[in-house]
Amino acid sequence: MKTTRITDEERAKAFKSSVKPEVLEKQKLNVRYNIEEFNADDRPRRFLEAFAAILKHSNYKFVLDHFARMSARCSRCAVACQIYQATGDPEDIPCHRSELLLEVYRRHFTLGGMLKGKISGGGYLTDEKIQEMAQSFWNCTACRRCALECPMGIDHGLITHLGRYILSEIGIVPRALVISTREQLEGASKNTSGIPVPALADTLEFLEDDMFEEKSVKIKFPLDVEDSDYVFFPAVSDFLMEAETLMGIAAVFRATGDKWTIGTGYYDGINYGLFYSDRILERVVNKVDEETRRLNGKNILIGECGHASRTAKTFIPTFCGGKNALPVVSILEYTHKVWKEGRLKLNPDIITEKVAYHDPCNFARNRWIINQPREVLKSFCKNYVEMTPIGDNNICCGGGGGTVSIDEIRPYRTTVGGKLKADQIRKSGCEILVAPCANCKKQLRELVEDQKIDCQIVGLHDLIYKAIVFDESLIEKKEEQPADKDNSAEKEGKG
Amino acid sequence: MMESLLDFVKGPLFRLCFAIMILGLLRIFTLDIWNGYKAWRKAGDKRIPWKLIRRRSWEWIFPFKRIKNNFQVYSVISILFHVGLILVPIFLFAHIELWKTSTGISWPSLPFTLAFWLTISTIIFLIVMLFSRIVVKPIKALSKKQDYLWLILLLIPFATGFICANLNVSPYNYHFFMLIHILSGELIFVLIPFSKIAHCVLAPLSQIVCGLAWSFPPETDDAICTTLNKKGARI
Repeated sequence: MKTTRITDEERAKAFKSSVKPEVLEKQKLNVRYNIEEFNADDRPRRFLEAFAAILKHSNYKFVLDHFARMSARCSRCAVACQIYQATGDPEDIPCHRSELLLEVYRRHFTLGGMLKGKISGGGYLTDEKIQEMAQSFWNCTACRRCALECPMGIDHGLITHLGRYILSEIGIVPRALVISTREQLEGASKNTSGIPVPALADTLEFLEDDMFEEKSVKIKFPLDVEDSDYVFFPAVSDFLMEAETLMGIAAVFRATGDKWTIGTGYYDGINYGLFYSDRILERVVNKVDEETRRLNGKNILIGECGHASRTAKTFIPTFCGGKNALPVVSILEYTHKVWKEGRLKLNPDIITEKVAYHDPCNFARNRWIINQPREVLKSFCKNYVEMTPIGDNNICCGGGGGTVSIDEIRPYRTTVGGKLKADQIRKSGCEILVAPCANCKKQLRELVEDQKIDCQIVGLHDLIYKAIVFDESLIEKKEEQPADKDNSAEKEGKG
Repeated sequence: MMESLLDFVKGPLFRLCFAIMILGLLRIFTLDIWNGYKAWRKAGDKRIPWKLIRRRSWEWIFPFKRIKNNFQVYSVISILFHVGLILVPIFLFAHIELWKTSTGISWPSLPFTLAFWLTISTIIFLIVMLFSRIVVKPIKALSKKQDYLWLILLLIPFATGFICANLNVSPYNYHFFMLIHILSGELIFVLIPFSKIAHCVLAPLSQIVCGLAWSFPPETDDAICTTLNKKGARI
């Protein structure tokens, strides 16, 4: 699928910087995202020190060796990149982006490069090159679609990931991500949205009342229940913004009767470490693991969130015990499993609109979760349509790689990043787009709003909540108050 | 004079250059596997996604599905170019005869007509690819000096080999073209392990490297903090 280039007007809007001129002057870095104050002196040396330290203690060296030796610069990745498709700027070709870091590696960390440096005199890495990387790595949505097209098999997403990690070690990282992570790891609330436990408990109680009102079933959000089968970690922002998703999940557990819980010691699945720092990544997954072990839970259950699910699935075994690590399950897998076992009944007459499914990159690119949610959706959405392309070749929402959390670059995300996605949504003609990922949902809502597309963005469990059919034994008859008798009868008639 | 020079480039120099290529490629191939093994040993999660690696490797070997979404002409040309580039030097009758004379080893050769057309097509594809690097915007933007030089360097042995095998040239010119043919081939041999053409042995390992790439070692946070003097620093 191809898209048209952005117009000059759109370009001006997308690339307009909201960073104050005096800040740009002080930070000596012309990027569109806000950065906390950092030491702007002697950046190349500090960049190389950080790079060397990371190479020493990580596994990146052998990967870079391999990629740096064989990068052929054929440009086939250009076709796969939705950013390049929208801008047409050569700087946005994934291979060009990767070359920025690969060349630093070749020149400063390989024998041939160092000899070349000696002969030509002087170092290679300059402030300008750091500027270029700081801009380029955060223009990318880290969707990793380009890696599928590269005949050399280079994972450009991994190089962007590493580039951002090194930059973060010298203080160049979007403030939005740092502030959230600081609250999560060092703050009192211990989560990226700053929701304290009493507020969480109130919210959940409110949702429970709502659910009883709507479904006449007592559905609980169990807190701190030890020995549960599943300890639940959603993207914590769901507690503020995605009530229906959470209610859908709670409803599924009520229907199946499986034991699950939310730990009040730590309840945030978000892990911005995946977007900018392996050190943060490690600290966050350790928190998830500790909380599950505190409650003696059997499985770590991650909510509707692509990056949270991928980080837990991939890095809990990495950082928390290898073979002995706790199993990680995505709520999409759980729901699919119980639906397949016949423990989840869904009414096929409730959702009549044209529904399509958006593959979050972190679920689909590695072919982890592609068909499971589709099977569930097709079972109760009569008017299901498919977008093209899908699965591991899906198109990113345009807010991947943490960019969705950077509010100041919204015009970029909805004009450039999500342009191809917007075209895809329009072409499908769907009225409801299911996006089981907190980041995708936020981005897609902003995208359809800015691109003026008439489409509702929901999570998978939002629809499940609407269509779920409970066993008769779970439905409680409400006590009818004499004064409201007529009213209730009228309501029931309408229903 | 010319004949003794030819004997030298065909004999000792060829052996030296060929040995450099083989040893160089062996070195980087072994290093890749050894470093991959060391990375795997260090990794916190030692599972390797073999299923995905297998799938992606098949897609790489048979890239037909991908071609329809990408620069179709460029991709097809690139694949066909590789066919000629690999088959002609290895399976040309004249080359096999040289091996047979010096080592006694031989193997089946390409029919003359097929070799003829493969050589012509490789020369044309090389010129088209060079032209693409000069005019097609994204390819041009990515190209470095060595990308152009490689295409020219590859063109030389194919063009001179074609002249020697198919055109009636005077003995002096024949020797001259043959000298250029062998010398350029030997230069290619020497450069292969030290340039992007190393992908001839490394590319098949790429999917395994990518599969291992996200297998991080545990407890790097602490080690990197110590090295960078950031222990206890605020996030």
